[in-house]
Order: sequence, then C-alpha cells, then structure tokens
Amino acid sequence: MKIAEFLSPQAVIPELTARTKAEVLRELSQALSRAHAGLRVERVVEVLQEREKLGSTGIGEGVAIPHGKLGGMVQLQASFGLSREGVDFDAIDGKPTHLFFALVAPENSAGIHLKALARISRLFKNPVFRAAILEARTAEDIYRLIAQEDAKA
Amino acid sequence: MTTSEPYATALLLVIFGLLMAVSAVFSRASGRLGVPVALLFLIIGMIAGREGVGGVAFDDYRFAFRLGTVALTLILFDGGLNTPLSAVREGARPAAVLATVGVAATALLVAVGARMLFGLEWMHALLLGAVVSSTDAAAVFAVLRSSGIQLKRRVGATLELESGLNDPMAAILTLSLTEALSRGEPLTWHLALEVGMQLAMGGVLGLGIGYAGRALLTHVRLPAAGLYAVLTFSLAFLAYGLPTLVEGSGLLSVYVVAVVLGNGKLPYRTGLIRIHDALAWLSQVAMFLVLGLLVFPSRLLQVAWLGVGLGLLLGVLVRPLVVTLCLLPFRFRWKEVLYISWVGLRGAVPIIFATFPVLAGVTGADALFHIVFFIVVVNSLVPGTTVKWVTHRLGLQAHVPPAPQAVLEIASMKDLHGDVLPFYIDEASAVAGSSLADIPLPAGATLMLLVRGDELVGPRGDTVLQPQDHVYVFCRPEDRALVQLLFGRLEEE
Repeated sequence: MKIAEFLSPQAVIPELTARTKAEVLRELSQALSRAHAGLRVERVVEVLQEREKLGSTGIGEGVAIPHGKLGGMVQLQASFGLSREGVDFDAIDGKPTHLFFALVAPENSAGIHLKALARISRLFKNPVFRAAILEARTAEDIYRLIAQEDAKA
Repeated sequence: MTTSEPYATALLLVIFGLLMAVSAVFSRASGRLGVPVALLFLIIGMIAGREGVGGVAFDDYRFAFRLGTVALTLILFDGGLNTPLSAVREGARPAAVLATVGVAATALLVAVGARMLFGLEWMHALLLGAVVSSTDAAAVFAVLRSSGIQLKRRVGATLELESGLNDPMAAILTLSLTEALSRGEPLTWHLALEVGMQLAMGGVLGLGIGYAGRALLTHVRLPAAGLYAVLTFSLAFLAYGLPTLVEGSGLLSVYVVAVVLGNGKLPYRTGLIRIHDALAWLSQVAMFLVLGLLVFPSRLLQVAWLGVGLGLLLGVLVRPLVVTLCLLPFRFRWKEVLYISWVGLRGAVPIIFATFPVLAGVTGADALFHIVFFIVVVNSLVPGTTVKWVTHRLGLQAHVPPAPQAVLEIASMKDLHGDVLPFYIDEASAVAGSSLADIPLPAGATLMLLVRGDELVGPRGDTVLQPQDHVYVFCRPEDRALVQLLFGRLEEE
C-alpha cells in the first residue's frame, strides 16, 4: 500500500490556521472535501470528532492521526496539515501537536483502514522525517517528503 | 451497662461496625444524588452523637486529631499512588500556583470577609481562613466518579494535583497561626519564610523517602505477598512522621512519596493499589464518623448564619476570584477556569485542622470548629449537587462506557516489561467490525481476552470485534501509542 494512493497534493495544508483541536479537525476535513468532491465537510468533521471522543489520536511526539469511517465512500482518503506553532490536541504525551494526518475510510474496509493507520504511525516514528517536514514550506515539498519516506520502507 | 473488658471493647466494635456498615451501604444513594459520600458519613456521625439519637458521648479532640492525621495520610498516599506522571507533568505548574499562592490568597480573602462582614477578630478570621483554604481530592473525585463524569485531561490533572498539594500549605498556615494565637505573639513576615522552609523540607524528604522506598520495594524479597502491603503502609507513616519531626511538611512528603512509588515498579502492583484504595475508604468513613460525633447540633445553631454566609462567600466569590487570577498565566479556556473554580469541594481536611486550635486551647476555637463545619457542608453540597449539571452545561464531560462484566489483571511480584491495556470497542474505534487477523498489531502484541456481554470469548483470527466488546491487549510499552490509535477507548481501571 502506498500513501500516494490516498493522499493527493491538494489535500496537504502547509500552514494550518487552526489554533484549537476543533478547528484543526475542521480544516483537515475541508482539505479532504476539496481534494475529493463528494465528501461533505460536516460529515467528515463529525466522524473525526466521534473518534476523538474515545481518546485523542495524538500519538505523541507532535503527531496526530485523526480517523474515521464514512458510509458511501469508494476508497480511503487522507489529508495532511502542518502547524509550526503546535496545537493542544490532548496528545497522549501531553505535548503540543504539529503534524496531522487525517484518514477517512469506507464503512467496510476495515483491513485497509487499519493497515494505513499502522503504516502512517510507523512512518512518523522517524525523528529525521518529522524534523524535515517541519522545515518544509510548501504543500508540494511536504507531499514530496511524505512520498519519499513512504517509498523507503 | 458494664464497662469492664472485654465488653467495653465489644461495645465499641459493635457501634463502629454498625456505623461503618450503614455508611458504606448508603454511599451509593448519595452518589446518585451528587451529595459527596463523605458528607453522608459526617451526618451519620452527628446522628449517632451525644445530641443525636445515638447518644454516643465523645468529645476527645486529641483522638480525633490523631485519627484525622492518620486517615489523611492514608488518603493522600492512595491519591499519590494513583497519580500518573503524565498528570504531574500537565497539571504541576497550575496546581502548584493554586496550592501555594492560591491557598494563601483564599485564606486571606476569607479572613477579610469574616472580619468585614461578620466582625470576627483579625487573628480568628485569619485562622478560620487558613483552616478552610484547601480543597479535598477525595471529595472532588468521588463526586466526579459517582456521577459518571470524565474530565478533559488537563482540567482533571490540575484539580487532582491541586487537592493533593494544597493540604500541606493549609496545614502549615493553620498550625503557625494557632501557635501565634495561643502564645499571643503577633504575626510577622517570618510566616512566609516558615512556609517556604516547611514545603521545601517536606518535598525534599519526600523525594528521598520515595526513592529509597522504591529501591527497597524492588530489591527486598518477602516471604508473603501481604507483607509488601505492610511495607508500603510503613512508608506512608514514615513519610508523614519523619519530615514532621524536623519541621518539614509531612503531608507534602506523603503525597510526594506516593507519587514516586506509584510511578515506579511495584511488586504486586494491582494488589497493593487495591489495598491502599480500601484503606483510604476505611479512613474516610472512620474519620468522618468521628468528626461527626464531635459536632454538636445545638452549637451549630448559634453560628449557622455566620457559617453559611462564609461558606457561600468562599464558594461563590473567593474561590472563583482566586482561581481565575492564579490560572491567568496558564492559558486555560474560560470554561475550564469556571469549572475549576466551581468544583473546589471542601472535605474533612478543614474539620481536622479545626480540631487543632481547640487542642491548643485557643479561645473561641470551639465556635470556630462549628463555623468550619458549615463552610465545609456548604462547599461540598453546593458544588456536589450541581457538578453534573455544570459539567454538561460547559461541555467538559467525556461520556463513559459501561464497565465490563469481567476484569483481567496480572498479579506479579516483579514489574514485567509489557502492558495489558483494557479497551472498550466503540462504533468509532478503527478496529470495530474487523476480524483479529486484519488488525496489524505490532510484533509481540496480542489480543488476550474478549469480554462480550456475559461471555468470555477466546480470541481467534476470525473473531470479529463488535461495538460494546471489551478487550484486553498485551503489548510492549513502546507500542502503546499504536495500539491506542487502533483500538480507541482505554478503559478506566
């Protein structure tokens, strides 16, 4: 599975304007629906929030992977957002979160959805990669970095 | 009735046995009403007292103070054991400000109110302020838990740490003021120095005893599992006793020791935690019953207006003002500030502290004791009965799933390298609806047990996880983040 299959450059936000958890989720959802016509922002925000209620998807080290399942989708879709300032995302290590990778999957695609989550979380474990993304300035740069890192493993 | 032994002891045991049983049994009802359980114990004690139906004659303030101190030690110790390091990291700074500057400001403002509005003498007013200046961890969390409320982490951590850390400060102020009053000495700036010294001493000795205790517990080999509890128990007593003997804050030390122990490797961890939880409950019940026995309803009437007035002043004006100012530098949302202001529940601590001036023979201490009673009652009833409503209005709650029918725990003498994480499968969990074979668990991790309704299911590759399942996942500590990401809601123990 390649991340490029479900993340497109249009869905990358090089500088999030959001300052709160709710705003981040909204901005990521907007990017998702921009890149994939047919995804309604409200619905995406809703499923992401439902998941956050169970416990933050902020997995620590400044990374969060908000995700959810949506009926009527054909395939996995993702968006990515960067906040240099950092947002309080209730992350499990209590630190501010900078890198956000949002993922929505069709209702019945459990296996692929889970594999993508595991893959993304493994990718972002690499501190060199995280630092490089924080340095990137444009959506294209970020996208390229993610694709490169993805090709390595 | 005969007073010769063994009848006297037997009578005592019967009385206390009955009182404790009644207290324990009724605790459920009080939880549903949002009335702090502790208050109920206190009232049962009052009813049993000399002026109540029980007619138990008891006015031994010294015994009450001793019992109160032991009880408080065990309660703080239990609180510390259950305080995770993450909570310390998140809540330490705001809680430290609330527990020092906040306590002093609260004491001062209550004193000003008591002086200006009710005409108390300055020294009495200050003493009163000091006595009621700390919040009660047990009360706050009993109310939260029994109303099924889970708070946002930072808010919960701040409240919890604040209530663990502010008792020492209030104790130091109370003792110093009592001493000054009973000797007729004026207050000087030495008080501030004294407070700093005692806190520093308590903190440092607490760390020392904590780390020494941790080393002892991990290295010593005892013949029976129960003896490890004796050891932690003794550490709790030493943690209070040693610093107090050398003019350090014993209460701070107890809390610090427990936090250090709780976050280290403990032999028979689950068992020890249970035992200290039980001891803390026993302490609560015993302490409140005894304090209830000390309260005389007839004397309460004389100070009713004063007590209720000051109680409201503290809860509605002083606490919100102090909390708002103290939390200014920490960028809390206004809702969270409001919340922390509102749930500053008072518990037994002020009542225990109030016995101290009585013991020291301060004039008017008896009236003070009864005023404090009112302040505590008002400041646990008002927030206690409204906390559920307030939490929902402010939208700070996280909803809590039902507890599983079975709980899996590993009892081990050594701390093993690995975590057993309990999860509740929600509709929104990523793993809901997938078979176990589809879950990309990290190497070495496994799903150990599935609890579905009343049934235990042995997990197989083709077992499909359904919403409302409870599962236990074993993994290495470094894989926790991924496992939590996949499974969603970690269950409270």
